[in-house]
Amino acid sequence: MATPTLIGADRPLDFEALPDKRPRHWPFSPWHLFLIPLSAAMLLPLVWSVITSLETSADAQRFPPVLLPSSLHFENYVHAWNSLPFGHFFLNSFLYAAATVAGNLLFCSLAAYAFARLRFFGSNLVFVLLLVTLMVPFQVVIIPTFLIVRKLGLIDSVGGLIVPNLCGVFGIFLLRQFFLSLPVQLEEAARIDGASRLAILFKIVLPLSAPVLATLAIIQFMWSWNDFLWPLIIITTPQHAPLQLGLSMFQGSHVTQWNLLMAGTVMSQIPMLAVFLFAQRWFIQSIAYTGIKQ
Amino acid sequence: MADVSFQDVTKQFAEGTLAVKGLSLAIPDGEFMILVGPSGCGKTTALRLVAGLETATSGTITIAGRAVTHLSPRDRDIAMVFQNYALYPHMSVQRNLAFGLRQRHVPRDEVERRVAAMSAMLGLDELLRRRPAQLSGGQRQRVAMGRALVREPKAFLLDEPLSNLDAKLRVQMRAELKRIHQRLNITTIYVTHDQVEAMTLGDRLAVISGGELQQVGTPQDVYEHPANVFVAHFIGSPPMNLLRATASAGRAQAGDLSVELAHVPDGPCVLGIRPESLSLMAPDDPRPSLDFDIEVVEPLGGELLAHGFVNGRLASPDASEETPLFTGDSESRAEVTVKLDGRLRLKAGERVRLAVHAGEVYAFDAASGAALIG
Amino acid sequence: MTLSLAPDSRLRRALGSEHLAGWAFALPAVALIVIFGIVPIVWSAVMSFQANDLVSAPHWVGVANYRALLHDPAFAASVRHTLLYTVIFVPLSVAGAMLVAWALNRKLHGVRFYRLAVFVPVVTSTVATGIIFLWLLDPVFGLVNFFLSKLGIPAQGFLSNPNQALYCIVAMTIWGWLGFDVIIYLAALQGVPHELIEAAEIDGAGKWSSFRSVVLPFLRPATLFLVVWSTISALQLFDEIYVTTRGGPLGSTTVVVFYLYQQAFQFFNGGYAAAIAYVLFLAILVITIIQLKVGGRRIYSNT
Repeated sequence: MATPTLIGADRPLDFEALPDKRPRHWPFSPWHLFLIPLSAAMLLPLVWSVITSLETSADAQRFPPVLLPSSLHFENYVHAWNSLPFGHFFLNSFLYAAATVAGNLLFCSLAAYAFARLRFFGSNLVFVLLLVTLMVPFQVVIIPTFLIVRKLGLIDSVGGLIVPNLCGVFGIFLLRQFFLSLPVQLEEAARIDGASRLAILFKIVLPLSAPVLATLAIIQFMWSWNDFLWPLIIITTPQHAPLQLGLSMFQGSHVTQWNLLMAGTVMSQIPMLAVFLFAQRWFIQSIAYTGIKQ
Repeated sequence: MADVSFQDVTKQFAEGTLAVKGLSLAIPDGEFMILVGPSGCGKTTALRLVAGLETATSGTITIAGRAVTHLSPRDRDIAMVFQNYALYPHMSVQRNLAFGLRQRHVPRDEVERRVAAMSAMLGLDELLRRRPAQLSGGQRQRVAMGRALVREPKAFLLDEPLSNLDAKLRVQMRAELKRIHQRLNITTIYVTHDQVEAMTLGDRLAVISGGELQQVGTPQDVYEHPANVFVAHFIGSPPMNLLRATASAGRAQAGDLSVELAHVPDGPCVLGIRPESLSLMAPDDPRPSLDFDIEVVEPLGGELLAHGFVNGRLASPDASEETPLFTGDSESRAEVTVKLDGRLRLKAGERVRLAVHAGEVYAFDAASGAALIG
Repeated sequence: MTLSLAPDSRLRRALGSEHLAGWAFALPAVALIVIFGIVPIVWSAVMSFQANDLVSAPHWVGVANYRALLHDPAFAASVRHTLLYTVIFVPLSVAGAMLVAWALNRKLHGVRFYRLAVFVPVVTSTVATGIIFLWLLDPVFGLVNFFLSKLGIPAQGFLSNPNQALYCIVAMTIWGWLGFDVIIYLAALQGVPHELIEAAEIDGAGKWSSFRSVVLPFLRPATLFLVVWSTISALQLFDEIYVTTRGGPLGSTTVVVFYLYQQAFQFFNGGYAAAIAYVLFLAILVITIIQLKVGGRRIYSNT
C-alpha cells in the first residue's frame, strides 16, 4: 500500500526552514518551550536505558531510582555479551540484512527493468499480480510460508530468514518507477553502441539510479535488521537468532536484572544508531521518499 | 561503409498510428541523404527503423546489401546521433567515446588509438576527462558525433542533431558536418525539419509528408522541379506563393494575373510563384504582371521581403482526399510574399505592379496537387 | 556461450526478442514472489477452510473456522482491543506529528538537535522499545512512577494494570513512530509555498484559521497517506505486545495479530489462524478503501 512518489528522489531534502519570528519582547522563540520538553521526552527512554545499563544491580533496583550512578559499571556489557551468544546475534542479523539487501538490489533491479522497458508475454498480467501481493498483509502468508520454509529444510537457520525475503514487490515497484523516469534515449544510444540488455542495465541504468538504489538498500536494511516476527516463528536456537529475537531471548532470561537487560538493549541498538547518525540525511531522504517503515 | 535501402517499408505502431507508409528509397554508398519534412511526418521513425530501434511492420531494410529488418541495433553496425545527444551522464567524454568499442570487445590499445584520433579530429582533446554536464551545447554535439563516428560504422544516422544549438553554432556545425562527411565519405542519413539544413547539407533530399515519400532528388532538382504542391511549398524560404487559378485554352488566370501555360488542361489549377520569381515591373515590361499592395516591408540588407496582398485566392499546400486544395476562406484577396532588391525604397500601403519571371510559374493539379509539367 | 546462427534466422529472431530477455530478467524475482507470496496467499485461503495442526494431514471443515470465529469471545475481545488501540493511536500520532513537524520547520537555535531527538526512535527496534518502556513503566522501580511521586501522584500499575496497559502501548508506539510521521510531514511542508506558511505564522486572531484554510490543504495528501499507513500498521500491532505484555494482563492487550500468533504457533490451530488472517486482511482492505474514498474526495474537493 505504499505511495512511493510523495516527493522526488532527485530532490534533496533540506527542510527549508522558516525564519524564526518571535514576539519582540521575547528573549527566545516560544517554540523552545514546546520543543525542549518534547526532545527531553523523546530522548529520555534512551538516556535512561544507558544510565541503567551502567549501574549496579542494587542501584538499578532502588526506589527512588538512582539518577546519576556514583560509579560506571561497563562490566555489565561484558556480562550481557557473555550470557547469550550476542556475537552470533550480530553476525546473524548482519547476514540477514546484507543478504536481503543484496538480493533485493539484484532481483528487483532485473525485474524492475524488465517491467519498465521490455515488452514480454504476460508482463502486464504478472505485474498486476505482483501489485496485488503488495496489498496482502504479512500475517496472511505467514503460516504457509512457515510450512514452505520447513519443507525446504530451512527452519531454524539464517537461510530460512533470508530466502523468503530475497526479493520484495515493493522494491520492484520502487525501482520501476525510477527507471521509467530515466531518458530512454540513453538506452537507445547504448543499444546502438552494441550493448546487450544486461550491459545496458548494469552500465547505464544502474549507475544513474544510485539514489533510488540507496533508498531501497536503506529501507531493506532497516527492515531486516529490526525484523522480529518472522525470526520469532522460525528460529528456536539462540545461535541462529538475529539480534532482535536474541534480545527478546535475553529479556526472557534476565527478567529482573534491569542493568544487564539495559546493557544488552543498548548494545543491540548501537550499530543501527551509529549508521543512522553517520548517514542521517540518507535515512531521512529514504523514509520521506518511500514513506515506509516496517 | 555501405548503401542503405528501404523496400516498401511500412511501420504501424501498436496503438494504430501509421507512421511510415510504403517507403522505398535507395541510398548509395557514401551519400549524404536528408530526410526532411514537417514534424510528425514519419522521418524520425524511418531513421529509427534503419537504426533498429523500431521494427518495420512490413517491407525490407538493407544495409550493405544485407537484410537487417529484424536485427537488433547492435548487429547492424550503424551509429546514431540523437537530438538531445544522449551522452552517458555518468561517464567522462573519454569513456563515452570508448563505450561502443568496449561493448564490441575491440582491443584496449586499438580503443585508445581510435578515441585519440577521433578526439583530435573533432578538437575534443582538452575535454576528454570532463563529464557531459560540464560541456557546452556545441561541445556535447561534437562528443555525440565523435561517439558515433569512432566506431567507423557502416552508416551514420543523425536525428535533428543541430536543433538544440543556437543559430551561430548551428551554422558552424553545419559546415563541420559537411567537412567530416567529405573526409570520411560515410553513408549518412540526416533527419531534419529545417529546409535550410536540408538544402545546404544533403547530396540528395527525400521529402516526406504524412508518412509518405513525396520526392527524392538533389536539393537543386527538388527546388527547381518540385513534384507536387507540398514539396513546392515546403522547400524554399520564404515558401512559394500558391494561388487558385482557372485554365482555359493554354492560359491560366489567377486574379488579375494571366500567364500562358500551354500544357495545363482546362479547368481549375494551382499556380505557384516563388517570392524570388517576382520583381517590380518596368514601364514597358512584356511579362505577365499583377498589382501588389504592400503591407509590411522587411529589409534584409541585400534583399528585402515585402508582404502584402494581390487579387485572387490562396490555395492550401496540404493536398489530401479529405482536404482538397481549394478549401479555406474564400476571400478575394490573397496574401503573398515577394523577395526584391534591397536597394528599393518601398513603403507600407504602397501599391506596386509586379512582373513574373518568364518560365518560373509552376502549375499543379487542383485535385491531386501533382505538378503539371510542360 | 555464443551460438553461431544465421543473422536473420527465425530462432535468432526469437532469442533476440524482448520476450526472452524480459522473462529472463523477471524470472528470479517472479519465482521468489510466486513461491513466497502468491502460493502462500492461495494456500492460506485454502487452509482457512481446513483443520490444520501444521504437522499432520489437514482435512476439510468448510466454513467451520469462520463460524467458530463469530462465536469466539477471545477473538471478539482481540478485535475490540485492536480497534480501540487503532482509534486512539492513529489520530494522536498523526495530529501530533503534524504539530511537531510544524514546530521543527523553522530556523531555530538547536533545531538540528530537536530533529535528531525526534528521529532517533525511528531506528530503535520495536523489541528494544518494548524492553525500555517496560523498564520506564515498571510499577516498582520505574522512572515514570518516580516522576509521578514527585507530583504527589501514587504509583501506577501501567503495563501490569489491565485498565492502563493498552494506553501504555499507545504511548510506547507513538514514541517509536512519531519521527517517521514527522519526516513525511516535513517533506510535505516543503511543497507548501513559503508565503503561505509565513501568512499562517503571522501573529493574531486568524492564525489557526489561516493554517487550516491555507496550509492544511497542502498537507492533505501526506495526512491521507499517514492515516492509511498508520491504520494498517496499527491493525497489525504485534512486536511491542509480545515483548511487553504477551497479551496480558488478563488478556487486556491481546490484539488480533497476537491472537493469530497464539492460535498458529502456540496452539497449532493453523486453519483457525488462517481464517483470522483472512478476516484481518478483509478488514484492512475495507478500512483502507473507505479511508481512501473519503480522504480522496476531500483532497479532490479542495484543489
